[in-house]
Amino acid sequence: MIKQPAGEINISDNAERANKILNVIMAFARLDFSHKIELSEHGEDILDAISGGVNMLGEELQVSTISLKEKEQLLKEIHHRVKNNLQIVSSLLSLQSQDSKDEAFLGLIRESRNRISSMALVHEMLYASKNLSDISIHEYVMRLSQSIQNSFRSPDQQVDFEYRMDPKLSFDIDRMIPIGLIINEVISNALKYAFPSKHGIISISLEEDGENYTLQAGDNGIGLPKGFNVSEDANLGMQLIFMLAEQLDGTAQLLQREGTHFSIRFPKSEK
Amino acid sequence: MQIPPHAIKTSLFYTWMDEHGICCTKPLAAAEIELEHARENTAAVNTFYQGRKFPLLIDSRQVKSISREARQHFSTNGRETYTNAFAILVKSPLSRVIGNFFMGINKPPLPSRLFDNEEDAVEWLKQFVNA
Repeated sequence: MIKQPAGEINISDNAERANKILNVIMAFARLDFSHKIELSEHGEDILDAISGGVNMLGEELQVSTISLKEKEQLLKEIHHRVKNNLQIVSSLLSLQSQDSKDEAFLGLIRESRNRISSMALVHEMLYASKNLSDISIHEYVMRLSQSIQNSFRSPDQQVDFEYRMDPKLSFDIDRMIPIGLIINEVISNALKYAFPSKHGIISISLEEDGENYTLQAGDNGIGLPKGFNVSEDANLGMQLIFMLAEQLDGTAQLLQREGTHFSIRFPKSEK
Repeated sequence: MQIPPHAIKTSLFYTWMDEHGICCTKPLAAAEIELEHARENTAAVNTFYQGRKFPLLIDSRQVKSISREARQHFSTNGRETYTNAFAILVKSPLSRVIGNFFMGINKPPLPSRLFDNEEDAVEWLKQFVNA
């Protein structure tokens, strides 16, 4: 504490006091609120007034920061629990199917489990993310495709993945869930039907196109049967792709060239 | 602000009712007010309640600091029940900062103003006597 006789101005003392105030403000910027500025005995000058204000501001900021950290912790906990609950549902489905030999039934269970896993992965990545709100599309798609491929457990199948998307591009949960489900359907369809020869390539890309994004996902497999009509012949997975595109405020298009591809165009900004 | 002999004395405050029906409270010089002092002060102020709310004059001209908990207490606890307005006297740069901070951050629920002149504060508070 610097004491100074009333009325006497000491420039070097004041410079030192100003420096102490600045140090405390810098500590606040580091979210360290343990520091306080000592006021002179009667707190009479301008530097004391500024110090008093900074001290009170520190108290308010500390409380706000604690409350923000608590909310952050709560959000993490929620994502963690949602992921765990989704995994429990997935495990229940697995248990229900373990005695079945019915391939069609087992296929339905696997599809459902993959859909659940694509959503659980969003929550898992969100609670591990720094800002708890966005996750990298590139990292998500890579992990998702790996997980779907593993679920098919077909050791003789040689399918490679090609990704083309900006690693810095990230989306929030409202967009990542439908994107993940769309990609899940495309990959599942491809692994099930596209490669009777047991090998091929699944490609996934996301490109910026003015005010929109274009997500392209597909395979270079045998393609759909001749005369295939989306509105009449689409299976549940394909129908889901069109419904999920609407959820993104976008449109889906089926492209039949060198295999089967879907192009989903959706606006960059959410409505 | 002259402290009368009949003023209630708590750890850091003198509190009394003046001839106009305005409750006055004055902390000791260089007071560093914590929650416990704020609670004592509220209890002292509330002793003057006789079925009718009254205005309050707070002389914070020599206050050195008020903790966050004490500021919150003054803005929310008890004051609204027994008082209907308050004026805060400020003078030094520090007391002005404390007063402005309190008004800006804690936003008291009652009509409240800062004054650097005691007569003006009393004049403003008179409208709340028997209101």
